[in-house]
Amino acid sequence: MTTEADRPEAASSGPSFPVPAGVPVVDAPPETQAVAWRHRHLLDVDGMTRPELELVMHTTDAMREVLARPIPKVPALRGTNVTILFYEASTRTRVSFEVAAKNLSCDVVNIAAASSSVSKGESLVDTVRTIEALGADMLVMRHGVSGAPYLAAEVFGGAVLNGGDGWHAHPSQALLDLYTLRSRLPGGSLEGRKVVILGDALHSRVARSNIWTLTAMGADLWICGPSTLLRGYEAWAAHGAAGRRFTVTSDAGAALRDADVVMALRIQKERMASGLLPSLREYAARYGLTQERLRAASPDVVVMHPGPMNEGVEIAADVAVDPRSVITQQVTNGVAVRMALLYLLAGARHGGGNA
Amino acid sequence: MSDLADGLTLRGWVVDPASGREGAAEIAVSGGVLERVSWLEGTAADGIGPDGTLILPGLVDLHAHFREPGNEDAETVATGLAAAAHGGFTTVCLMPNTTPAIDEPGVVARVRAAAAVSGSPVRVLVHGAVTVGRKGETLAPMGELADAGVVGFSDDGAPVQAAALLHNALAYAGALGLPVIDHPEDPSLTGGAEASEGYVATVLGLRGWPVAAEAGAVARAIAVLADVVRDVPAARLHLTHVSAAASLAHVRAAKAAGLPVTCDVTPHHLGLTDEWIAGSRRWAWEAIDGDGSARDPWADGSLVAAPFDTSLRVNPPLRSAEDAAACLAALVGGTADAIGTDHAPHTEVDKHVEFGWAANGISGIETALAIVLAAVDAGGLSLARAVEALTTGPARVLGPSAGVVPGLRVGEPADLVVVERAATWTVTAEALRSKGKNSPLLGRELRGVVRLTLAGGRVAYAAD
Repeated sequence: MTTEADRPEAASSGPSFPVPAGVPVVDAPPETQAVAWRHRHLLDVDGMTRPELELVMHTTDAMREVLARPIPKVPALRGTNVTILFYEASTRTRVSFEVAAKNLSCDVVNIAAASSSVSKGESLVDTVRTIEALGADMLVMRHGVSGAPYLAAEVFGGAVLNGGDGWHAHPSQALLDLYTLRSRLPGGSLEGRKVVILGDALHSRVARSNIWTLTAMGADLWICGPSTLLRGYEAWAAHGAAGRRFTVTSDAGAALRDADVVMALRIQKERMASGLLPSLREYAARYGLTQERLRAASPDVVVMHPGPMNEGVEIAADVAVDPRSVITQQVTNGVAVRMALLYLLAGARHGGGNA
Repeated sequence: MSDLADGLTLRGWVVDPASGREGAAEIAVSGGVLERVSWLEGTAADGIGPDGTLILPGLVDLHAHFREPGNEDAETVATGLAAAAHGGFTTVCLMPNTTPAIDEPGVVARVRAAAAVSGSPVRVLVHGAVTVGRKGETLAPMGELADAGVVGFSDDGAPVQAAALLHNALAYAGALGLPVIDHPEDPSLTGGAEASEGYVATVLGLRGWPVAAEAGAVARAIAVLADVVRDVPAARLHLTHVSAAASLAHVRAAKAAGLPVTCDVTPHHLGLTDEWIAGSRRWAWEAIDGDGSARDPWADGSLVAAPFDTSLRVNPPLRSAEDAAACLAALVGGTADAIGTDHAPHTEVDKHVEFGWAANGISGIETALAIVLAAVDAGGLSLARAVEALTTGPARVLGPSAGVVPGLRVGEPADLVVVERAATWTVTAEALRSKGKNSPLLGRELRGVVRLTLAGGRVAYAAD
């Protein structure tokens, strides 16, 4: 028999913010709640305001509470059909969405693109129309081409959740990163905190989405990596309007100095073939997140990684399991954040949300 | 067959770059022939101004894709010509990237036959391929193509990759009295590229398409030309759809050095910018600050449409507002000789897909004039220069052998377009005559309505 007391981690590590009015009681269906969520889809985080981010965070708190129960399941979205369509290989994101949907009592269909008619050359538009005709209310999709979820949203009658598109966006990852940081940082605030995203920003949708959310919450954001993998970011940082200031550097020493948070990004082996890096060994030596390199950071530095990790390349094995690492909490929080997103979007579906 | 233009008397603001005159005038057309141009003075000219009815020589497009033979789902010569007439164009030069390519006289004849069957009076000129099958390996039969009447040579859609082959093409075409029309792109820099490298592409996670891919190719082609003209003084290089300030700087320097180089810019590179891909819908000149730097559409709330509209995927890509301003400045200053539409119709099958997988191209021949007039309205360009860049400018690029002589000449077949400058129209799929509905302007209201297009003395288009 599992009781609340047996789950101290879940019960106590949740943030202790004052919960404002308007946060739903997630045991009940969303259409019965007055929730200030106006987005029909979740395609990007670029347009999310601070109050909207706060709403996701507080709804996630409620979902953490559900996850801490003996039976971590509520009937809130019973009868809602969620289809998960992934055109790229993924374990944690796909399973995380599936668990999240099941915890809310959704009916879940999983489509791996290789085993569907997609591999016979069916267009995305036709695939999405077919999925809708089969009764899907919500579509969680991952695609290798930036912007693909916008095309799906154009033809899909329900809500589309972007589970990662090309290099562009990975909204649920950025939101779970934000949630994890708020749980971990004193006072739950990112204001003025030095956050370093370290590694292959060029190909990273995680980096792009985190830029929007972390700067919205007031973090002092640094993007660091080999200059070949930062291409274009200086142009972004130079615009940096509307409070979106961040620093771009190839100097890992400068980036890590007194850092409060370091998020290492995955380095993929094909980057060598395209001439972007001389070797993995050289990358690990100059940018790998090691205990030695971490000494320059704040003693309480929070270490993150969106996974999957190449241990010994972008992150040393002992750093990944260091007490300062929150990598497994990121995974756990991912389920709660995705429950919150499904819940909020279901509410918008009933409430006639727009964008 | 279209009707002969007969018994027409037109009054309006006439802009005639051939004679250098602009003003209120009355024009009479009888039996297809331009019978009279009477410039109006004093009270007779009352109420006639450049904001009302415009009468211009028929427009000339150096660069259009009508997809026939081979991709008639996207466009045919007949639908392309109807679109051209609707856009005010009376002469169009077709690019040879058809299937098969226009790389031998038989295909030229086939295109001409399609034009004849269409019944359109719009004049069709043809560019022949530089290389067999546009593969960049061996020269196409350029002499035979010249004999068949092509007006230039281009592997457009792709560059002539090998500099040695470009050298030979310039020399050989030069001896035939024809230009090589180069699509400047270094493909080693554009593999998989989706949007112009910079702020917008980075934010959207689109693979960057660097300016260097164009500027480097422009510089190389000019360097090759400089070598060629020592042996073949008649050699001519035309660079098409130049889109970036850095490329235009090379062209400007080459012209200053006296090299026989010309270039064109497209309406979409003048009026649109990469921020449209993020969802902005403001003109390029509205997207730039007083100090000449591009505004931030995420910061100033100008993102009004869904991002990743594939009608904006085009080669070369839409550039920054700075580059668009440079294209406009080049047009004003004469570095750019002409406006070429690069009309590139595509089917929905090829466009209604993921952004990175969508075919490159904008269906633009029907909106070209309106975009250029919007630039004039904004004060960035004189009406006279705009009309020149759409008429005598392209004619000069082609050279005298093409026989394109835009102008309002009494005693010649009437070849003109009448535009209601202040009237508006909404770009819709139904309004476009082209089969290609891939216009980023769909749904937008544009100023400048073509009322009448006369080509070779016949009615090519008349508004209902």
